[in-house]
Amino acid sequence: MALRAAILGHIRVPVQTLTQNGRILQPWNLLNSNRSMSSHGDDHLDKEEVIERVLSVVKSFPKVDPSKVTPDVHFQNDLGLDSLDTVEIVMALEEEFKLEIPDKEADKINSCKLAVEYIANHPMAG
Amino acid sequence: MKLTGLQKQVLGLYRGFLRAARTKGSEERKKIESIVSSEFRRHAKSIERKNFIYIEYLLRRGTKQLEQLKNPDTLSLSTVPVRHHPS
Repeated sequence: MALRAAILGHIRVPVQTLTQNGRILQPWNLLNSNRSMSSHGDDHLDKEEVIERVLSVVKSFPKVDPSKVTPDVHFQNDLGLDSLDTVEIVMALEEEFKLEIPDKEADKINSCKLAVEYIANHPMAG
Repeated sequence: MKLTGLQKQVLGLYRGFLRAARTKGSEERKKIESIVSSEFRRHAKSIERKNFIYIEYLLRRGTKQLEQLKNPDTLSLSTVPVRHHPS
């Protein structure tokens, strides 16, 4: 078992599924069949929806005064949060949108605006 | 505010703990999050910003603790209260 796990740990299989006409189906379309697909093949979430959901996550953060939260609000300068709070908010956004944001990107997200930008451009955001 | 390399490491460790907490049961998760959050904040307040040697020591210690927490057999964290002597 240990050997099997050791070997499997080193194997990476790209997840791709071909349809009959040879087009590659993105794996998340297979999982969420109710996801809307626009005609130009852009699977990204609607930006207005992202803004709304980001704001609602930030507003529900215990240390945040919900009346101060706007799409342009900066977590530390405007909401008086510290860098640990910012980590918590970005993690809460990961859960809301079912994403994992790498540290390097997460460190840059310090405002609602940047969070919306990152999530709206992320193909896996759900 | 631009983060220093050391600050990034601390935030990365904090993130690591919160990620590991997600893999545990919901009650344990809350408990772990509360312990981790209060430990990081306590240290952030009490340690002099330029005490690099001590901060690096805590980073190494935290990294080891995180490895233990990531083990699926580890169900929870516990803390032992330490009496602080006024310095």
